[in-house]
Amino acid sequence: MEVEKGKTAKYLRDKQGVSEQVKENLKAFTQIKKRILDALKESDMTILQLSQKLEMPTHEVMYNLLSMVKFGWVETGEIDDMDEYYTYKLKQ
Amino acid sequence: MSSTKNSVSYDALVVGAGIAGGEAALNLAVNGFKVLLVEKDLSVGGNMIKLSKVFPTLDCSACITTPKVSEISRHPNITIFTGSEASNIRRVADNHFVANITRQPRYVRVEDCTACQLCEKACPVSVRDQYQFGLIGRKAAYIPFSIASPKAAAIDIENCTLCGACERACPTNCIDFTQEVEHLEMQFKTVILATGFEMFDANRIPRYGFGKYKNVLTSLQMEREIAPTRPFNTILRPSDGKVPDKIAYVLCVGSRDASVGNPICSQICCMYSIKQSQLLMGALPMADVTIYYINIRAFGKGFEDFYQQAKGMGVNFVKGKVGSISETENGNLMLRYEDINEGIVKEEEHDMVILSVGVLPNEGTTSLFSEEQLMLDPYRFVHQTDGLANPSHTSIDGVFVAGTATGPMDIPDAILSAGSASSEAISYLLK
Repeated sequence: MEVEKGKTAKYLRDKQGVSEQVKENLKAFTQIKKRILDALKESDMTILQLSQKLEMPTHEVMYNLLSMVKFGWVETGEIDDMDEYYTYKLKQ
Repeated sequence: MSSTKNSVSYDALVVGAGIAGGEAALNLAVNGFKVLLVEKDLSVGGNMIKLSKVFPTLDCSACITTPKVSEISRHPNITIFTGSEASNIRRVADNHFVANITRQPRYVRVEDCTACQLCEKACPVSVRDQYQFGLIGRKAAYIPFSIASPKAAAIDIENCTLCGACERACPTNCIDFTQEVEHLEMQFKTVILATGFEMFDANRIPRYGFGKYKNVLTSLQMEREIAPTRPFNTILRPSDGKVPDKIAYVLCVGSRDASVGNPICSQICCMYSIKQSQLLMGALPMADVTIYYINIRAFGKGFEDFYQQAKGMGVNFVKGKVGSISETENGNLMLRYEDINEGIVKEEEHDMVILSVGVLPNEGTTSLFSEEQLMLDPYRFVHQTDGLANPSHTSIDGVFVAGTATGPMDIPDAILSAGSASSEAISYLLK
């Protein structure tokens, strides 16, 4: 069967579907991303501050936040006076 | 979903496109032989391309690897299949092997991909990046890493929502979800095995807390943290993003340890740990770095000087066997160890611990052959039937072995071994 270029994802989706786990993972990441971005709209924050504000374990904030830095939504700010923790801010 | 294609023939099949397999393929190719280089990963370059620097010279690993990878990729006598595996290799006559090659779909037409990363930007999915050893996420539409070869996108179909955002963003229409698994049957005159090694799984020693305590990392994770293409802007501990200032290395994790089934020395762990400690001292000048060791095996050219250099830089070497690691309330780690010189048990707190994991054989190598048996040595590496005079010979005539498939070794030795294997293969081809 000839499938039109640029529309092949629909072909495979119709053919094999998408697992519930994959959909759940996307939903979870989208929610975390929104919560982190909303929090950073208020002020620049460290991972510890974000963890407290979002009531999320620090390692989960770390993983998702640094992924968001990689994806270009967040950037690294200044380090604190003790040279221990960086702040993170929305990418302009 | 799969398709089967007819037979094509090459002079040599090289299994594994790490530094040894690539070197062996290149040696054959420059001598006029047609080579099929089969790699299960999405990029050529193996483990070396992911390293920060090499010991004992501290040369940039990528700067050494990428020109070599580029030469391999462009050579007209080398055909590269990434995302592919060989199986059912069998001899049908003298100087004549047949192998099944399975090519997994990349869902991207590599020849049309410009590596613009627009698909990556459009993809809404985030999953753990295996090339950064899980320290950070990546998209389901992604370029494996910045110096990958081929530098082209791939779709992680297991985690893809098939939303089509990547296709809509792609300016060259190179994304193709109609691709299927290809099964090929190919003919060869000789085979070189360069299947490499596997790293010891640190989860197998629960008392060290890997996977449970977020600030216990493996040496490969730290290798990524100090590489130019690192996951974070600097060295950070994964529990809370703190810049660490008291880092410990635990040597011989999963090597020289009969209790985990690997009694032999992995040969590279002492030196890569010393290398990393020097790089850490450079990146974090105020940090304290301690290496807990049983013996430092600085046996190679320049290794002892490199070890002394680390001492001179202030790296603290403690002759001690670490028994267990526990976590304190602030995420720091308490090491309980036997001070071998004093003969007493001590405890020391660090804010990050690196497990210098050992080298294990690649267990998939023996199953490549269907009719003749590839013999292994007592440690399950490929047996060298004439280890002194012809170290690349295996138990199967016409099949040669290169690099760490024969046992732990460093990069120069792997390249030397590849030279030996390719020379033997050429002699065999010219018989």
